[in-house]
This record gives sequence, structure tokens and C-alpha cells, in this order.
Amino acid sequence: MLETQQLTKKFKDTIAVDDVSLVLRQGESVGLLGPNGAGKSTAIAMISTLMKPSSGDVKLNGKSVLKKPGEMRRVLGVVPQKIALYEELSAYENLKFFGRLYGLSGNELEQRIDYVLELVGLADRKKELVKNYSGGMQRRVNLAAAMMHEPEVLIMDEPTVGIDPQSRNHLLETIRKLNQDEGMTVLYTSHYMEEVEKLCDRVYIMDHGKVIAEGTKEELKAILSDQETVLIDFDQNYPELFTKLSEIEGVQQATAEEHSLKLIIPKGTRLLAALFHEAERYGAQVVNVNVQTPTLEDVFLRLTGRKLRD
Amino acid sequence: MGAFLIKDIMLLLRDRSELLILLAMPFLLIAILGFSLRGIFSGDLEALEMDIALVSQGDEAQAVASLQNEIEEMGLPPGETQALKQAAESASPQTMLVSLLEDESLSELVTIERMSRAEAQESLDEETVDAVITLPQGFTEDSLRNMLFGESKSGELELLVADLSSPQTDVLKSILNEFVRTVNFEASISRLSGQQSATEVFGGIETITARQPITSFQYYTIGMAVMFVLFVGSTIAGQANLEQKQMVFDRIRLSNRPPLLYLSSKAIAAAAIVSVQLTLLFGLSALLFQAFAADSWAFWSGIAIISIVLALSVGCLAALMVAITLRLESDAVPAIFSGGVISLMAFVGGSFMPLDGMPEMLRAIGNWTPNGAALSAYFSWLLEPELGQLTGPLLRIAVVAVIFLLLALAIFPRKGGAA
Ligand SMILES: Nc1ncnc2c1ncn2[C@@H]1O[C@H](COP(=O)(O)OP(=O)(O)OP(=O)(O)O)[C@@H](O)[C@H]1O
Ligand SMILES: [Mg+2]
Repeated sequence: MLETQQLTKKFKDTIAVDDVSLVLRQGESVGLLGPNGAGKSTAIAMISTLMKPSSGDVKLNGKSVLKKPGEMRRVLGVVPQKIALYEELSAYENLKFFGRLYGLSGNELEQRIDYVLELVGLADRKKELVKNYSGGMQRRVNLAAAMMHEPEVLIMDEPTVGIDPQSRNHLLETIRKLNQDEGMTVLYTSHYMEEVEKLCDRVYIMDHGKVIAEGTKEELKAILSDQETVLIDFDQNYPELFTKLSEIEGVQQATAEEHSLKLIIPKGTRLLAALFHEAERYGAQVVNVNVQTPTLEDVFLRLTGRKLRD
Repeated sequence: MGAFLIKDIMLLLRDRSELLILLAMPFLLIAILGFSLRGIFSGDLEALEMDIALVSQGDEAQAVASLQNEIEEMGLPPGETQALKQAAESASPQTMLVSLLEDESLSELVTIERMSRAEAQESLDEETVDAVITLPQGFTEDSLRNMLFGESKSGELELLVADLSSPQTDVLKSILNEFVRTVNFEASISRLSGQQSATEVFGGIETITARQPITSFQYYTIGMAVMFVLFVGSTIAGQANLEQKQMVFDRIRLSNRPPLLYLSSKAIAAAAIVSVQLTLLFGLSALLFQAFAADSWAFWSGIAIISIVLALSVGCLAALMVAITLRLESDAVPAIFSGGVISLMAFVGGSFMPLDGMPEMLRAIGNWTPNGAALSAYFSWLLEPELGQLTGPLLRIAVVAVIFLLLALAIFPRKGGAA
């Protein structure tokens, strides 16, 4: 129902979004994954009609929204990356204001406010000023505000940044419910792999303004289907040994992390003999060896040579 | 629209520092300036109490009698002779001066005591009196002659004061000038009294009535009010900037309301806040400082008209500032405006002191600022409650307001499209 065609945004010296074509089908939950500065927020600003693209188009049900953003704005619920609320007003007052902007009033308005507050689990604290909420609660109101006008598509820009695990789980659960139980179409932006893996049917991976991979989770992981991830835990850190191991023939990617080393290798690589041999030489003790199927994180790593989060 | 307004007002009510600037500050300044500068405005009567010694060196009765003799000998027709003799008696300048000084409007301020010259000098030295008015030898006769026969030499008064630069002295001088003017005026009437055109001349008296003076509390209530309403422009533009920064402005855009609704509600919010501000300032000033007669319906309706025009013009100013602020995506405009421009406007608008002595250029600029024009409208209403007097300044305010509004519309980013 919603798509972008060769969407591009150039700023003075950066191309923030470069030739991005996305599709969002009715009822789908789609992830937009990318590290800091990948261009996710810029892409979302253009999709939600807040920013004019340098070139390319955004279409809703086949019609361009650039000239006539009205229908898109009615259909979309946007949860911005920043908390877009009046800090000096309470959650209730914020929601009431935004509800009235959408023409709600009276009973209908009150019921809608009750509904969205219930949805994000803040019904009992609605009278408190937004500035006195925790970061997690603010994020939840941020979502509630986007839900006031019963949108059909929910676009979220990193809605879980900087929040406590409890709020985060609550938020993710809410989104999952909206998508699966109420059939809401969701575009979920994040640089947390786990969230996208948990929530989304399909994923676009962005880097440097470009979409570098897309597909269902399975399709993406299939990129690594002939590969496996080996996680080796040691008793302590051995920088030289880690370097040595990453140079073993066939190793495509190596990431060291304190006491452990993660290697991506083609399936069937005879790694273990070499591993124990080298460990022996450096006097290192192997605590655990774990062969995993790849995660999206590994896919990203493989595609860009970098980790999603530094 | 209602939603926007309620939200803007709620935000303001929660912002204690803004409220302090908009309401408490001007009131405090009115109190401070009003009290401390009491006396520099001619209307501050209570600060001007003075004791005056009146010294008459001639013999008034004798001067009148000798003048009447002279009239007798002039050989005029009996009717005119009688009239002139009557005039000589009743127009005695000394009597007129005393009755002027003891007039109802001055009696609370001035106490007069007749003394000999020597006594008066002594009292002045001991500072038991503030001033000595001396009617020198021949004063009565000279002035009467001048009055009745139009002879060139008019009587001269002598004023001795303890402190030449005190406000009392200024007031006394102006009272005496008024007196001399009256005496001369009476003179011309006396001379004409026998003629047909007398009534016509009497018709002119009204134009001479002295204006009600302005008190320091009145001055600063108006001065501070017209200055501090300007801060509302900054407040509103500051709010708009915050809305943009906190991205609620984006949410508002997403709600697909006409962008001009946002702008006009900002203007109306500003006008509403200004109305409240002016009501409170004038009301409190009237109640606490007795700055204005609280019971005159006609007086207050004039003040209300000026206030409404001023409020609307600040609304337009706020719209312009909001437009620029959103266009620049920065709070520079409200910051610069409240940080300096307002003081400048208040100064050229005459909020701090009367601009009488200032260069013409400056006064012309001040006259075209909304605050300066409103100030002169308020003052002219205070001095002479006549609607006709208001059209000039109110028209200037309206012209400037319309310019603000047009600029605002031109500058406001019309983000209806996917801009
Ligand atoms: N208004 C702007 N002017 C100039 N450059 C911009 C502007 N907005 C974004 N950029 C640049 O565009 C690039 C993409 O930014 P964007 O905010 O879209 O990334 P992001 O994927 O949302 O990152 P994050 O995960 O940190 O939110 C960055 O290099 C950023 O510096
Ligand atoms: Mg972002």
C-alpha cells in the first residue's frame, strides 16, 4: 500500500538517502535496519511528508503523496525518534491536544485517549507532566500520541532508544499486538537486531544511505546459508592468539570481544584442529565452542564489514 | 483553533519565569518608578505640598480708590463710569491671586500666609516656608491700569524660592504664569466689557482651561504596560521555536491542519495574553496606587479601545516573529527582541521618560512604534477624553500592524505540501 521509488535526499555535502526503494504491504511488519547515520530518519521524514525528497517519489496506494500529502498524513501514525511532546503538559493534555487537532472531541476524544493510554500502559499516570516521566514512559506517550487518529500504518523511528528493559518489552509487545491482532501495518526502524528479528516479517538493511539488502529474515540469513558462525570462549583475553586465529584460511569475518572470538567461516571449514593447536601454543584454555546459525547482526557484519553498533 | 489557543495559554500558565516577566515585572517597575519619581510629573500633587508667604508691599485699597477717582474724573457717561469702577474693585489682582492659590484644586497643596517682607525672608531662611510671592509697590495699580485702560506697563510679581530646582518651584512657576495669563486675559475682557462682542470673547475661555496633569503612577503604568506587552511577542515566538525543536511542530503538520491556522492562533493567543496583561496592570494600578479614577465608565471604555487596538497589533507582531523564527529554525529573533529591541522601542516610545526634549527624528520613530503610538493615545485620552484625538495614534498602530501581518504571511513557511 505504501512504497518509495528511488527516494534520494542530498544535503549540502552528504547524500543522506540514496536511491531507496521500499515497499510496505497491508498488514505487514517491516524492519528498517541500519547503523547511526545510515539515513533511516531522513527516509522516514520523506515518507511521512515532512521533508521533500531531492528526487524519487513516495506513493500511497499508487498515488504520489508529494503534491497532496493529506491522505498520507491521515493514514500514517508517526512515532519520531525524538520525544515530540509538550513537556510542560501532562500525558492526558498532550493527547487531548493532538486528538483535537484530528477533529476529535467530547466523548469520542475521551474514549480514544483512554484507549491509547491503556494501550501503552499509562492510564494510571496520565495526569503527570511529561517532563517528570522516565525516558521509557515518555517514549510510550510518544507512541500513544501517534495512535490518536487511528492510523492504518505506524511508522516508528527507533522508538526504544535509551529506555529501560521493562518499558522496552512493553513497547515491543504493544507493537506486536497492534500488528498481529489489529492488522496494523508497521514500519519499524532500529539498530537493534533483536527487536527487528522479533517484530518484523521483512527487513531492509540500510547503510550510507543505501539499501544494501532486503528480504524476509530467512532470506537474509540465507545470504549466510553456506556459512556458519563459531563463537569461542576463552579463559581470558589473548590478543595475539585472536589475530592468529582470524588469519586461519577460510575465515571470512572475525570479531573479538573480551574473552571470546566470533568467526564466520564457510560451512565445512576444518577449524577445530587448527583452533586447539594454536590455543595450545599460546597456553590458552578454550572454555566453550559454539557453532551458531547466523543472526541478522552477522548478515550486517558480512555485508558491511562493520558491526551495527559500535 | 480552540485547541491551539488552550494549549498556548496552558503552556504560558505553566511557565513561571515568563509569567513573572509579563506580569510581575511591569507591576514592580510601576511601583518603583511611580514612587521614586513622584514629583517630576506635574500631576503628582501630594508630593508638592508647599507653604507660601504672600507679601503685599503696596496698599491695595488705596490703589483701587485712587484709580476709581481717576475714572470719575475722566468724564465718561455715567453708566460706563460705574462699570469701570466696579471692575476696578472686583478685578483686584491680589484677590485673584489668593483665590487662585486657594482654589479647590490647589488648596490641599498650598497654604498661604500673609507676612511682611522681613518676616517672609526670615521664614524662608528657616525653611518654614517654601516660597515667597511678593506683590511689589504699585503692582495692584499697574495691573489694574493695564487691565482697564490697556496701558503698557503690567505689574510684575516677584517669586523667591528656597530651592530653585525643586519640582515645587516648577509647579509654582507654572501656577503663577497661569495667573499672569489670566490677569492679562481678564484685562482684555474688562476692556471689552462695555461692548457687544463680549460674549464672543467669553466663548474663548474654554480653550484656556488648563490640562489635567499626569501623575508618575499614570505615566509609568502606561509606559510599562506598552513596553511589557511587547514581551508577549518574544514569549509566543519562543514557544513556536520550542515546538519546532521538540518536533511537536512536525506532529502539528502531520495533523494536516491548515498551516495558517497555526499562525493565526499564535497571533490570537498573543492578543489575548496582552489583553489580560493590560487589564491586570491598569486594574491593579487603579486599585493599589489610585492611579486612575476607578469609577468612570467613559474613561475606561476609551482605555479599553486603545488596549484592544494595541493587543491586536502585538498579535500581528507575534505572528511576524513566529514566522521568522520558524523560517530561520532558531530562537535568535525572540532572544534579540527581548534582549534589546524592546528596550530600544520602549525608549523611543517614551516608556521611561517623556520625549519632549528629544530630537525630532527620535520622536518621529517613537510615534510609529506600536508602543509609542499607544502611549500617546493613552496620554491624550487621559488629558482629554475625546475620541477624535485617538484616531491619529490608533491609525498609526493599525498601519504598522497590517505591515507586520503582511510580512508574517510572506515569511511564514507554508508547509502544506511536503516541504
Ligand atoms: N538536516 C540535515 N542537514 C544536513 N545533513 C543531515 C541533515 N539531517 C541528516 N543529515 C545527515 O544525513 C545522514 C543521515 O542521517 P539520519 O538522521 O537520517 O540517520 P539515521 O539512520 O536516522 O541515524 P540514527 O540512527 O543516528 O538516528 C547523516 O550523515 C546526517 O548527518
Ligand atoms: Mg535517526
